[in-house]
Amino acid sequence: MELEPVSVALKFGFLAVLYLFLLWVARSALKDLRRGTEAAYTGPSADVEGATGMHSASAPSTPPQRGRPKLRVRTAAGLAAGSAYDLTEGALLGRGDQADIRLEDGFASSQHARLVPQGDVMVLEDLGSTNGTYLNGEPLRGAQPLHPGDMIRIGDSEFSFER
Amino acid sequence: MSARNRELMALIPASLLLTAGFAAIFIQRNELLSNVSLTYGGMFLGLCFVAHLVIRFTLPYADPYLFPLVAVLACFGLVVIYRIDEDLARVQAQWFVIGLIAFALTIFLLRDFRLLERYRYTIAFAGLLLLLLPRVPGIGEQVNGAYLGVRIGPISFQPSELGKIAIVIFLAAYLQDTRRVLVQGSRRILGVTIPPLKHLGPLLVVWGAAMFMLVFIRDLGSSLMYFGAFLALLYVATNRLSFVVIGLLMFAAGAWFFSSTVGHVQDRIDVWLNPFAPGLYDQPGGSYQIANGMFAMADGGLFGRGLGAAVLRVPDGGPLIPAPETDMIFAVIVNDLGLLGGAGVIATYLLIAERGFKIATLATDSFSKLLATGLTAVMALQVFVIVGGVTRVIPLTGVTLPFVSYGGSSIVANFILLALLLLISNRARRPA
Repeated sequence: MELEPVSVALKFGFLAVLYLFLLWVARSALKDLRRGTEAAYTGPSADVEGATGMHSASAPSTPPQRGRPKLRVRTAAGLAAGSAYDLTEGALLGRGDQADIRLEDGFASSQHARLVPQGDVMVLEDLGSTNGTYLNGEPLRGAQPLHPGDMIRIGDSEFSFER
Repeated sequence: MSARNRELMALIPASLLLTAGFAAIFIQRNELLSNVSLTYGGMFLGLCFVAHLVIRFTLPYADPYLFPLVAVLACFGLVVIYRIDEDLARVQAQWFVIGLIAFALTIFLLRDFRLLERYRYTIAFAGLLLLLLPRVPGIGEQVNGAYLGVRIGPISFQPSELGKIAIVIFLAAYLQDTRRVLVQGSRRILGVTIPPLKHLGPLLVVWGAAMFMLVFIRDLGSSLMYFGAFLALLYVATNRLSFVVIGLLMFAAGAWFFSSTVGHVQDRIDVWLNPFAPGLYDQPGGSYQIANGMFAMADGGLFGRGLGAAVLRVPDGGPLIPAPETDMIFAVIVNDLGLLGGAGVIATYLLIAERGFKIATLATDSFSKLLATGLTAVMALQVFVIVGGVTRVIPLTGVTLPFVSYGGSSIVANFILLALLLLISNRARRPA
């Protein structure tokens, strides 16, 4: 049997399958990319972020695009998930009456944690709570500046910081 | 169609490629159309399917395209290595399976990959230790003036492959904490932003040590790739172009220093600039390899000679291109599949890089963002270093073409890297 034509067909077939596959991935990736940018505007780590989403680090010299700092409820007993609190004036989180954001959470102390604006930065501080505050899954040590998209967890309640 | 089903679908063309590739080689070799190629394609599809199931059950939201893209690269690797040497391909297939096991293990053990952040110094130290191993007498191996491998009994591996992951993890963890101080604490001297030394210190120590190790083991390609990844991470973390400029200037100074003092580096540059000079071409360790690689790629033309059809051996049995299965594998691919095949391979890497950076933009916390960026950058740079070397854009230094080149440590390390990217992606894309 003469196999030369088969060999040539396989050569071009190989390239054809390869390119069709790459085109398909590129097309879906492109669609995904578009959907991604739309989602980014409504998503948790939205407004300020540039392409890398880390531009907030360079706050002092590049004028920060000033979105209002917000604390969005992810899951919290007694609070509507998805609702957001304005943090321009800072906020006190806790179970007590003085708290700006009341947590109906058995693990929360009455004055649990505080969010204080310092210049362009929002600082999260634990107020000596019994069960601690978690920033991005790690126990908070001292005052920490927040980046958009950071997750704050107190007991079973979870919030995300946005700007 | 859900993400996972799309991933499953995409594995079919990858397996088709493998089948077609093996069929072409069998025809070329024995003038017969054998159904063994179908068996190989089926086995490959089976293995990928198992990995797909692992992803489906552990990382349901992870990026659907990364794994199929990698499968296409692995298929290139297996086909082309088989075409070079059947025994090597058998070993490579075993490494592919071990790589998949490492992939699954990484996913199972690091479900919460943010654990890595806590052990940053341990990981950095382990990475540096790995880089030192090739110089330890008794287990280190020297190849072409570079101490790249470690050999313990029958197993040999290249520690710089695993080291790259360790260093990227450290850099990501460290920069996520200090990026803010790096920018806000910096002073401007003569219009140049100088970051505060106190916070830059640990960074420079670990990174400088890595650079030193790489120079010490004379792994130039890896040092280029580490350096590039470091600058990419620093840029993403701080958004300061000046840091990158300073880094590039430091690199230029270092490159000039080493090229004028270390003979090994000097030789590489001579070979790069004048590969066709008669004296260099015939000299042992001269430009024979790179020049023949160029000839082979030119011979491929637009569509290539056809898989398995290009000439690989000189009449007396020696290899036409030295190290065709590792450093020069890209030249063999271009010879067989032409410019289009080579461009296809690069496009595959390009799409992987795009997916990687996409994962970084989707990630919600700094550590994930930086880790995804670093891992993607280090892999993309590795491709640049070796493809750039083979095509004579930069001096040729020996690093592997990820997932394609022959070599166990490269396959395993890159599968671990892929697992980490998918873990980050799963977390980032999980609906809230």
